[in-house]
Amino acid sequence: MLMLAWRNVWRNRRRSLINVAAMGFGLAAIMFGQSMMRSLQYQLIEKATGSFTGHVRIQRRDIDEPKFPDKFMTNPEPAAKLLENDPRILVWGRRIQLTGLVSAPKMSLGALICAVEPDKERLLTNMSTYIKEGVYLDGKTKGVVMGRKIANRLDVRLGEKVVLMAQAADGSMGAEVFRVVGIHETGSESFDGQMVWIPLSAMQELLGRPGQVNQLAAKLKDIDQAAAVAADLDAKLGPGDVGALSWRSIDKEIIGIQAFQDGLLTIVLGVVFAIVALGILNTQLMSLFERVREFGVLMAIGARPRWIVRLLVVESALLGSVGTAFGLALGTALIGHFGRYGLRLPVGEAFKYFLPFPSVIFLRPSWSMHSFACATVFVVTLLATLPPALRAGRLKPAEALRHV
Amino acid sequence: MSKPAHAPASAPHARVEHPLVEIRGVEKIYPGGAKVAAVRGVDLVVRRGEFTALAGPSGSGKSTLLNLIGTLDRPTKGEIVYDGRAVAHLDADVLADFRLGALGFVFQAYNLIPVLTAVENVEYPLVLRGVGHEERRASALEALKHVGLETMAHRRPDLLSGGQQQRVAVARAIVHRPALVLADEPTANLDSKTGAALLDLMEQLNQEHGVTFLFSSHDPAVLARARRVVHLLDGTLHGEEVRAR
Repeated sequence: MLMLAWRNVWRNRRRSLINVAAMGFGLAAIMFGQSMMRSLQYQLIEKATGSFTGHVRIQRRDIDEPKFPDKFMTNPEPAAKLLENDPRILVWGRRIQLTGLVSAPKMSLGALICAVEPDKERLLTNMSTYIKEGVYLDGKTKGVVMGRKIANRLDVRLGEKVVLMAQAADGSMGAEVFRVVGIHETGSESFDGQMVWIPLSAMQELLGRPGQVNQLAAKLKDIDQAAAVAADLDAKLGPGDVGALSWRSIDKEIIGIQAFQDGLLTIVLGVVFAIVALGILNTQLMSLFERVREFGVLMAIGARPRWIVRLLVVESALLGSVGTAFGLALGTALIGHFGRYGLRLPVGEAFKYFLPFPSVIFLRPSWSMHSFACATVFVVTLLATLPPALRAGRLKPAEALRHV
Repeated sequence: MSKPAHAPASAPHARVEHPLVEIRGVEKIYPGGAKVAAVRGVDLVVRRGEFTALAGPSGSGKSTLLNLIGTLDRPTKGEIVYDGRAVAHLDADVLADFRLGALGFVFQAYNLIPVLTAVENVEYPLVLRGVGHEERRASALEALKHVGLETMAHRRPDLLSGGQQQRVAVARAIVHRPALVLADEPTANLDSKTGAALLDLMEQLNQEHGVTFLFSSHDPAVLARARRVVHLLDGTLHGEEVRAR
């Protein structure tokens, strides 16, 4: 049967090749789309968690917006101990993040002030890699690192002094002079135009909150464990006022973007699968009408109706295998090409407003998704052949033999 | 000539025996606006070893009767009995198995599978029976040898003449040693010389290997070769002639 089916597939070479091409190009397009979305999402997650959020955070539960923890943990040490003892955590650090005022001789601007432990922060995020002038914080000097755009707006340069002001624990305005030690350029409006970085100890002093922080941020050895680690930590922290969150609960907009992209991809996949299915259905129907008499002959010489059905399904499976193999090869080649040379996407510019994001993304294969696409194309091919195959199985031998 | 592998194992050569097929009161009415009775109240017996022709003009019901005997169609009324077994109303799968074991077909338009070579066409009934590759290939080549086409075994039908294709069809019809070969106007698409050669072949298979043939034709030259001719007119039997040889 396999030999007969294979020869039947290539009986009308042009039609089969068109079908294989339709399946192949469709599958390659699906794989490319899947890879592009996943690579984009990977970059988005990597940049968001790697620039500031971290993979897991411990902070107060009674915060309205988890992204901006404006309430302090009065005793963060039990939580810090949990992080220190968890083998899944690569590095963690204490932080204070709040809005304040940066004043230069000519101008004052509102800013997001991030106070960090510089030694740990170097490993926790990649902000130190964006320093274009000067150096990153060292924790010893009372220095400030700020974005290029806010520095330009304030008209301050490396080595010059600025005053940082924020509301202290007692309600008064705390103020402190800092020297600009570094200027970063991430390409992101939000980061370069709004953020300033100072050592944690200086901030605690400025606020009159010794030992207090408003978040503990951790980077894991494996980001895919973020939800599990956060859940474990949260359970260990108990029902108190401090809880653990994974990056998914903090950077909710990324999850939204991811869901939107996945939804879009699903619609595109559905359309492509429908096109493939209609193509196969059309081919098999044409093939059926052309070969009705032949099916009659096969039935006359003793083929059971289900044998005829099986023959058509096997033909479809062979056609589907060739089309899937072609699509897989083409898709892999496309992903490989853009994985090596990169793909410039306008959407990268849009993301740049919110966080440091590359304009060129390098595609990476997502084999679980590609396997699903391949399997679906193959299954769709088989399903599309069922109506004509079942119809062929219902043919009456004498009528089929009379067919012209 | 020794007994070929494809010849019915117990066929008594050219000796007419007990009934192989009995057709009892068979009627076939095609449904539709004006119901057409293609075959009406036909009773017929075909015995083993016969070389019988169904004769009659176009529309007389020859093909319909052959289809009914070949279980390719079901009678509206009546019964068809093979070796004592009523087959007309059996399940489609059972009928397919029955045809595979007991019947061989030769069609007017040859009806070879175009993507298969001559030998592959011939061995296909054996493929359906699950016979192993080597055994079925040997049987198919033997059958082709008997129709004089062993040298054309690996040609596809489009590279064979009409006569050669019909001989391949005959080889396909006998390869699995059926009790009965049904041939619907087997020479209609052939010139007279090629048609006569095909009849020679069929006659030889009947005489030497005991293959029972029931074929239809309206050509007097073809009918002259049959030892028994059953006449049909307007779907009913209209007499028969038996010729001694």
